[in-house]
Amino acid sequence: MSAIEVINLQREFQTTIGVFNRKKKIVPAVKGISFEIAGGELFGLLGPNGAGKTTSVKMLTTLLIPTGGTAKILGLDIVNDAEAVRPRIGFIFGGERGLYWRLNATDNLRYFASLYYLDPAVSKKRIPYLLEMVGLTDRADEKVEGYSRGMRQRLHIARALLHDPEVLFLDEPTMGLDPVGARELRQTVRNLQDEKKTILLTTHYMFEADALCQRVAVINKGEIVAMDTPSKLKDSVNDLSVVEIEVFGIPPETVEKIKTLSMVENVSVEDRDQLQLLLVHTSKGAEAIPLLISELNGLKLGKVTTREPTLEDAYVRLVGGE
Amino acid sequence: MTAWQRIKANLRVVFMAFEIELRQSFTDAFVLFGIIVQPTIVAFMALWMLKDQVANYAIFVVVGSAMTGLWTTLLFQGGNSITGERWTGTLEPLSCAPAPLRAVVSGKLLANITQSLLSLICCYTFISLIMGLPLTIANPGLFAGSIVLTVVAFIAFGLIIGSLFILNPDVQRFQNGLEFVVYIFSGFLFPIALLPMWTTPFSYILTPYWAARALHAASSGTGSDGEIYFCWAMLIVFSILYAIVSKFLFKSILRKAREDATLNMQ
Amino acid sequence: MIMEKLKLNIKIFFEGAYLSYVGLFRWLSPSTYLATLIFSPLTQMLFFVLIGTYAQGTDKAYFYVIGNALMNAAMSGIYGVTMSIGGDRWDGTLPYLFGAPANRMTVFLGRAFMHILNGMIGVLTGLLWGWLLFHIDYSAANPWALLLTILVTTFSTSGLGLLMGCIGLITRNVMFVNNTVYFVLLVFSGANLDLATLPSWMRIVSNYLPLTRGIASARLIIAGHSLTEVLPLLIEEFGIGLFFALLGYSLFRWFEITAKKRGTLEVF
Repeated sequence: MSAIEVINLQREFQTTIGVFNRKKKIVPAVKGISFEIAGGELFGLLGPNGAGKTTSVKMLTTLLIPTGGTAKILGLDIVNDAEAVRPRIGFIFGGERGLYWRLNATDNLRYFASLYYLDPAVSKKRIPYLLEMVGLTDRADEKVEGYSRGMRQRLHIARALLHDPEVLFLDEPTMGLDPVGARELRQTVRNLQDEKKTILLTTHYMFEADALCQRVAVINKGEIVAMDTPSKLKDSVNDLSVVEIEVFGIPPETVEKIKTLSMVENVSVEDRDQLQLLLVHTSKGAEAIPLLISELNGLKLGKVTTREPTLEDAYVRLVGGE
Repeated sequence: MTAWQRIKANLRVVFMAFEIELRQSFTDAFVLFGIIVQPTIVAFMALWMLKDQVANYAIFVVVGSAMTGLWTTLLFQGGNSITGERWTGTLEPLSCAPAPLRAVVSGKLLANITQSLLSLICCYTFISLIMGLPLTIANPGLFAGSIVLTVVAFIAFGLIIGSLFILNPDVQRFQNGLEFVVYIFSGFLFPIALLPMWTTPFSYILTPYWAARALHAASSGTGSDGEIYFCWAMLIVFSILYAIVSKFLFKSILRKAREDATLNMQ
Repeated sequence: MIMEKLKLNIKIFFEGAYLSYVGLFRWLSPSTYLATLIFSPLTQMLFFVLIGTYAQGTDKAYFYVIGNALMNAAMSGIYGVTMSIGGDRWDGTLPYLFGAPANRMTVFLGRAFMHILNGMIGVLTGLLWGWLLFHIDYSAANPWALLLTILVTTFSTSGLGLLMGCIGLITRNVMFVNNTVYFVLLVFSGANLDLATLPSWMRIVSNYLPLTRGIASARLIIAGHSLTEVLPLLIEEFGIGLFFALLGYSLFRWFEITAKKRGTLEVF
């Protein structure tokens, strides 16, 4: 039996627009997604902001009722057996909310331990253990309001692990963290995987999914557009290579023009201090370079390189650029 | 988990929520206003208005004004307790935990009500020390018993208020008005006999009415023991009734919040 | 030139008045209006009138009805005006206001204008309830004198509201301050108490507060006294309102100047 089983899950939201002349509008957020996650697997749900990742996780954690489809966690239905599901799952949502800022870490955990019916004798040992695990032991007696973003995020993880759940949902756990904090957090996630927990991780960082997940589903506009292991997803762009050109002050018209070239599949521009990095997906490899340079005629150029595609490039191809 | 273990675990949740709420709200100016400033001012005014007009007016005013503080705290703190968690983003983890949200809210209400018992102490101190009026409680034993039942009854009432406000935001708009409506119908500072007859049933279904009646009777000595016991019985009956109704209300608010995606607001 | 400037200021005044009103009641719906402007003041009035009649009998109901109806002026004067000034801080629009070349005085007073109207409606509604529920007889009153009293009283409480609104800009607990001031007025204005029976220090305090003379004047007019008899009271009431409004305005300017000097506009 798979740990998580999702069949054609859907969710719509109703929003009202206008102040005086209120109109209701139905917005689909998740348009029927299906996947299965095996016990002990670390599965990634990868997609841009607004793709439906958080909505999917909220349905699976019983916080939202789907408007269509079903899902089972450890064989239990997320709507009808919600109460049986809850003690067996843990979840964290990216961001800093969801903690009591005027309390310290220990008290936050004590409170949630009681809510998860932990025996006081158990939580007495469990809380220091978890604080140690997420590296908050030294600051456990300080109020959460004084914590950094990363510390709060790690406290969220400790909270989610209090009752030692079999299944974990981590929604954008590294969102807004500095690089060091994000790296520490990824290490924590790896440790959890070693404990054979089933983990569903959502992220919009490709390298994060690449580094952590055994399988990845790419979600865009509420639909799953690809699902495979990171290496297989990379294979899907094997026919491509990536030309990177450093250029100083590229006008948008030029980017648009390059996009129209027949050998070019995708173009994106990244800002790097004074220069921009032009990334061109092409099937022609290094042969494309002369043609591209002629298009950039008159602009000051820096380094020009070609490289193998990464998971990120596969992702760009799937979700269609920015 | 056996039934007994579950009750024990839920009681632990209540006391934990009590502790957490108490520690978070003791510095809240709004709370301080509701439990100290407003009741003291009401007490002062009522004292001046009722002076020499009503028997045992000093203790009557102490008890009545303190009850206004109790109700105001309950109305605003209890009414907003779930909304507050929603804004801090903690309602999601709370409603997703195995413990019932009702246990959490009960603990929070217990904390609010315990704090607002300070109103009683403030009004008592204010009137006896500053105004120098003699205050004696006619029947301390029955008074203490009435306080305990009042706390229980107010928690049960708070569960209803809290969930109604969530279910129907229109009710919340009348929050300010409900403050005085209950002061009036519960007879905190004047007997409900002054009101038109048709309003009496409203008073009877409000636990604050029975609480006020019991506390006034026990403190002023204006009622018989039998009357006080009758009020106790009504407090118990209505508390049980409220508790049962609130169970359904909570179930439907949580279900509705999961359907409408309103567990979290940003 | 002067005419143009005047025209511009009048425009700013009414724009400010309109915007602050719409801003405050952007959640305005019939039920909200009923709840905040009719239902809530009514219940409060009922509560105090009933305590009063419990003590003094229904014959004295008029005393409490008039006092509490006039309290409605304080309700919109203090809460309404404070909210529309504080609203700028919450919306983060205060820096724009400070940066705008518009005449500050006009902007400032524009905020209070609509609440004066609102307060007058509140007072009249309160008196109407008194007639309906307690059969208060207003036949002896000169309606114009009564209206003038109501206007002056709402003006003076809004003056205090402007001051409170400015204090609200520097404190985090606006509602705490407002509630306390409102309840202090409830005691000291004589809405529910006969001021003559109060200790002398309290009478001194009430002499310096808005509302006191407004309530006294309304009671006199309803009892059949003429406008000329209450005119001195009204002039003093107006003066007190003006004093508080100007105090609020100077405080507002002072904040503006200090904030600009220290570059702390964001703290507002």
